Amino acid sequence: MEKIYDPELRNLLKKCYQCGRCSGVCQLSKVQKYTPSKIIQLILEGFESKVLESGELWDCLTCNQCLKDCPVKINFADIVRMARYKMRHESNQSSDEFVAHKGIYTTISEIMSRPYINPDRNMDWIPKNCKVSDKGEMLYYVGCLPFFNYEFENLDSIAISTLKLICQIEKKPIVVFNEEICCGHDIYWGQGKLKTFIKLARKNLEKFKKAGVRTIVTACAECYRTFKVDYAKIFDEFNENFEVKHIIEYIYENWKSQKIEFKNPNKSGEEIHFTYHDPCRLSRFLPENGNITNKVREIFREFKYLGYQFNEMAHNKENSLCCGVNSWMNCNEKSKALRYKRMQEAKLAGSKLITSCPKCNIHLTCLQNDFEDIASIEILDFSEFILNHVKVIHPKGKGD
Amino acid sequence: MEGSVLVIGGGIAGIQTSLDLTELGFKVYLVERTPSIGGRMAQLDKTFPTNDCSLCILAPKMVEVFRNPNIELMTYHEVKKVSGESGNFSAIILKKPRYVDETKCKGCGDCATKCPKIEVPNLFDMKLGKRKSAYIPFPQAVPPVYLIDPELCLKINKGVCGVCAKVCQAEAIDFEQKPKEIELKVGAIVVATGFDMPAEKLTSRWGYQYDNVVSALEYERILCASGPFGGHVLRPSDQKEPEKIAFIQCAGSRDLHEGIPYCSSVCCMYTAKEAIITKEHSDRSQCFVFRHDIRAYGKNFYEFTQRAQKEYGVKYFQTKISKIKEDSETNDLIIHYENLKTGEFNDFQANLVVLATPLVPSNGTKILSNVLGIELDEYEFFREKDYFNKSKSTKDGIYLCGFCQGPMDIPETVADASGVAGQVAAFLNSVKFEHIKEKQLEVPELDIKDTDEPRIGVLICHCGINIGKYVHVPLLAEYVRTLPNVVHCEDNLYSCSSDSQARIKELITNHNLNRFIVASCTPRTHEALFQETCQEAGLNKYLFEMVNIRDQCSWVHMDDAEAATQKAKDLIRMAIAKSRLLKPLREELLKITPTALIIGGGIAGMSAALNIANQGFKTFIVEKESILGGNLNYLNVLYPIEQNASDFLNQTIDLVEKNENIQVFLKGKINNIKGYVGNYVITIADSNSKTQDLSIGTIIVATGGKEYKPKDLFQYNNQNKNVITQLELEQILKEKGKSWLTNINRITTVLCVNARQLEGITYCSNICCGNSIKNISLLKKLKPELEIVVLYRDLQMAKKKYEEYYRERRKDAIFLRYDLDNLPIIKQINKNPERYNIKFYDTNLQDFLEFETDLIILSTPIIPADNLEELAKMLKVPLDRNGFFLEAHVKLRPLDFATDGIFLCGCTQWPKNIQDSISQANGAAARASRFLSAKEITTSGIVAEVDPISCIGCGKCESICPYNAIDILESVKDFEDISLNVKKSFINSALCKGCGTCAATCPNGAISIKQYDFNQITAMIESYLLET
Repeated sequence: MEKIYDPELRNLLKKCYQCGRCSGVCQLSKVQKYTPSKIIQLILEGFESKVLESGELWDCLTCNQCLKDCPVKINFADIVRMARYKMRHESNQSSDEFVAHKGIYTTISEIMSRPYINPDRNMDWIPKNCKVSDKGEMLYYVGCLPFFNYEFENLDSIAISTLKLICQIEKKPIVVFNEEICCGHDIYWGQGKLKTFIKLARKNLEKFKKAGVRTIVTACAECYRTFKVDYAKIFDEFNENFEVKHIIEYIYENWKSQKIEFKNPNKSGEEIHFTYHDPCRLSRFLPENGNITNKVREIFREFKYLGYQFNEMAHNKENSLCCGVNSWMNCNEKSKALRYKRMQEAKLAGSKLITSCPKCNIHLTCLQNDFEDIASIEILDFSEFILNHVKVIHPKGKGD
Repeated sequence: MEGSVLVIGGGIAGIQTSLDLTELGFKVYLVERTPSIGGRMAQLDKTFPTNDCSLCILAPKMVEVFRNPNIELMTYHEVKKVSGESGNFSAIILKKPRYVDETKCKGCGDCATKCPKIEVPNLFDMKLGKRKSAYIPFPQAVPPVYLIDPELCLKINKGVCGVCAKVCQAEAIDFEQKPKEIELKVGAIVVATGFDMPAEKLTSRWGYQYDNVVSALEYERILCASGPFGGHVLRPSDQKEPEKIAFIQCAGSRDLHEGIPYCSSVCCMYTAKEAIITKEHSDRSQCFVFRHDIRAYGKNFYEFTQRAQKEYGVKYFQTKISKIKEDSETNDLIIHYENLKTGEFNDFQANLVVLATPLVPSNGTKILSNVLGIELDEYEFFREKDYFNKSKSTKDGIYLCGFCQGPMDIPETVADASGVAGQVAAFLNSVKFEHIKEKQLEVPELDIKDTDEPRIGVLICHCGINIGKYVHVPLLAEYVRTLPNVVHCEDNLYSCSSDSQARIKELITNHNLNRFIVASCTPRTHEALFQETCQEAGLNKYLFEMVNIRDQCSWVHMDDAEAATQKAKDLIRMAIAKSRLLKPLREELLKITPTALIIGGGIAGMSAALNIANQGFKTFIVEKESILGGNLNYLNVLYPIEQNASDFLNQTIDLVEKNENIQVFLKGKINNIKGYVGNYVITIADSNSKTQDLSIGTIIVATGGKEYKPKDLFQYNNQNKNVITQLELEQILKEKGKSWLTNINRITTVLCVNARQLEGITYCSNICCGNSIKNISLLKKLKPELEIVVLYRDLQMAKKKYEEYYRERRKDAIFLRYDLDNLPIIKQINKNPERYNIKFYDTNLQDFLEFETDLIILSTPIIPADNLEELAKMLKVPLDRNGFFLEAHVKLRPLDFATDGIFLCGCTQWPKNIQDSISQANGAAARASRFLSAKEITTSGIVAEVDPISCIGCGKCESICPYNAIDILESVKDFEDISLNVKKSFINSALCKGCGTCAATCPNGAISIKQYDFNQITAMIESYLLET
């Protein structure tokens, strides 16, 4: 617990010299009054309990925009995460009124954290020609997609595309857990239920070990960050024992090592303009910042030859705008305003919007039901977008 | 004139008409000769075509009658004498002794439990089950009062026993009761005495004397979970599960030799239903239907019979039955029959036979007709005064509804019943409200603030020994006293008695209580009573909470008193947890604009308008054409009474035009509809396209239907003048003399053109058979030497008189049967004069036939009027998959939409004949004018509420609300660098029924239901799980 939680919030803020930049760049502050610098100052001056009691920290998007611009690298989102734990345990607050979808999804995660409860997940979505197994070196970690299916349309397609991509490239069967449980991201960031998070992490680690996994591939920005950074905080040598890859990295590496190439079998005369929405978890939440953001752009530039024109939105990479909702918290008109802003930018950049976070996908797609002017933009996951454009290069000499 | 009405018969017809009459402003005396209301519908297991549990949908209406302060429920009473005349009848009613004082009986059933086991067949179970001397006909009987059978009772017969009197803690047993005569003064009488289903005479051919031959109503009881075999399908002889079950149609009806010439109308459908339910009970069972015609002409009926065959594998044979005999060894039945498709004679062995026996006017109809001085018709149904107003008997002031007037199904009966209420209301308009009780509260309501400490009073009921024997009530009370906020708790024998009500009021006042709880029986029957008591003591009725520790506790845990007591503790503790969080709720009064708008000026629309106008309300008709009358304008002669259509139409138009309360917009168009029940603003464009806004209270949709034009089917096209539709024939007959028949020698009528198919139009449109058969004789009269051929599939002549109407006309034409597998093939063989060759497969002869004809008349189905989608959208009401409007409930609310304030009648709901359209129109008028009569309506306090901050305007609540109570309103909201169209959900409490669907659907938890909000429910759950 101490690895992910420090009860002395003040200690983490001491470097702050109140430049106020965080309040200036705060994405939430564009739609409601929100001043992180003032909150920091209050805590430093000893009014922590007042801040916690006010409940205003439930509002933070934890988008990390402020960290990116902070001259002394104060990790405000991390403070919020710990503060939420305190709010829950010290001032007896509940996040119930802030959590969207009546908390059903976070409740599911919590249930999965119980020691003896393991889901019997629907495996019907797995395409027939994809060989899967419960043991092996490479794991495709599906994440919570299938649980959303009843409320949001067609999310299976992300999982199907990702698994198809991996299975095309790999020779051995890919591990897909029938009893896969939640990574714990939303519990960790949104709910401040840190102990539950640790339980989930432990259960996951055990499952990875038991299956003999070495590489974990995921198509979810949140799962990726959680394994790569947050699990590594708890478990020493997590990154030494497991190689965590986002599907973007996975594809990038295979491309660079010439195992695959990009082709467009249906290339038509007209160039298709598209853009990419960087999820915060891949753009502002990783130690080696810029890595995935640049890799994905390198791939997209290659797509020029396939008849696609990649255009940046006004805010991109580390400055990417938020999809409006984090960890199932705070779906309201302010969140809609944030999303609407993002979609307005997307509209100028192309007819397709690619993202690599299923949640961003859900939030932006949902908004399309509300506003006709953005309804025509096609929102796709990275895996869905490239699925039909990947061709495996077979090593020569074997009968070719 | 008296502002009260005597309703005779407590079946669904009597129940519906009574409820409507009280809402229209009249006191009702509902006389039922058996001990409970409910009638035949209460005996049914399920109802077609939705397979709803019959009693489950009926019981709420029965309870509503029981609770209605303006209905005097007189069960186990009989009408002995009626004198006086229309407006001022005097009736002598005989009150038969129950030997149980109904003012004291609490329906606990202790008397029946202890009554010695001397049993007789129970009539409610069609004599398949047994009952004792002290009994209640069925558990859900209304009133919930027991009675004693004097023929069986040992005390009454021999002066011994009397154990019931000893065990009855309510002291309700009274062996001294004598028959009593009561005199009533009423302004009008409604007869709704229903039908019987006797089978005793069906012995020689149909084998009813054998154990395993049962009537369909007996079979309903066998199927029913509360029936004699507990819902297991068993045959009477050996109580074994039958595998092969034969359903015999038309057993004794449609047969001049057996005395019942008419068709009972409902058997084809209930047979399909019974077969389906049988299959649902047991996969092993096989159902065989020995049919004649399939008469499935109602909404979704034909499709239902198809489903029985396709989905459930029920086998239908077109047969004639010669004889049913018993195999004396196995008690199986041997059915000797002729297969009409193959012409072969066969024997069929069945384990059980169900006879669709004829439905006849109920026993005693003749006596009642003498008592009332009204006439019977040739079938001994009550005779209607006027064919097009079947609700009027032959005597003024006495009305008929339901099956006592002629065969009909439940929705028709319900529509009829409402229609009668409307007509009575118009007739007694001048004395409306004279006998209606309205409750005035004397004590002002206490002001309870949210901050006030909850002071809870709890009353725990023993319900005789119903609760007290299984739950340790004194211990329970002791426990409850220890719970926080409980100021007072006591137990008593019957919490529902009138002295208990006085006690509750006393407790509230003396202990300064601000919440009250009664732990007793079911809120279904008793919550309103206790709420009223609280109100009388000045306590807002929503601060009352009821706990059911009988039906859901003592009754189901009879064998474990300790567990039952523990459960009762839990249940009461949970209610207390909720009670602490209760808030006083307000009921709003909503003014009703006393005007009605009728959309459509056909016969249905005009009839509805006349009824409402005659009740004294301003009524508007919007008709899109330049004349009133709709389809009637194109008709020639009406059947079966052979009245000239234009005479009838002109009479009606004349009445409409002369009525000062009616304003007609011809060539009118509805541009916009805003508002809700009682408060619509409707923008209408008149013939000059000038628009005006009307303030409207209620709306009736009567947009009718139209004939389907069978383009390119059977040679029907623009060139061929001698291939016409039935409606085109009507116009020709109306406009031309007989000269047009000069060159025509043979006419062929094809029925079911493009109807009752597997795809496309799948339904039967009800009226085409009758209409075609009428035209046969008209043509024959014009030119007697004409040869007429009718190609038919099944003849839908189900109404009273129709069977004979058709039989008479059989001599005028040759009737040949075809089926869907082999449609007739029609070729033109000569252009001038036109001549056609018809080749078809005669299913009776099992062979192809070919003949030539000069004129072809195609009977096509009625389809919905044009542009209904647009209207449906404006009204926010649904269409069904055939494009007709979809009523609130196919069985019991055939004239209502789920949205309050909007009603429907006529062909806009389903194809139907003029008689039924008019009956429905009167019914819709009655349903609509209930609101107009009320002047204002009280909304319930239990409604949904939106928290606008949490609402994200996703619209899920709006689309799922069954009552259209939710609107999504838009506004623009400015943020720092963007402005957004923000949507918010808004709930109209006038329309909200508090069902909670929206609250369950809202993804953000922004909606809560008052009295059932998340905090209250969570408090209950937490109290159960966390407190002990």
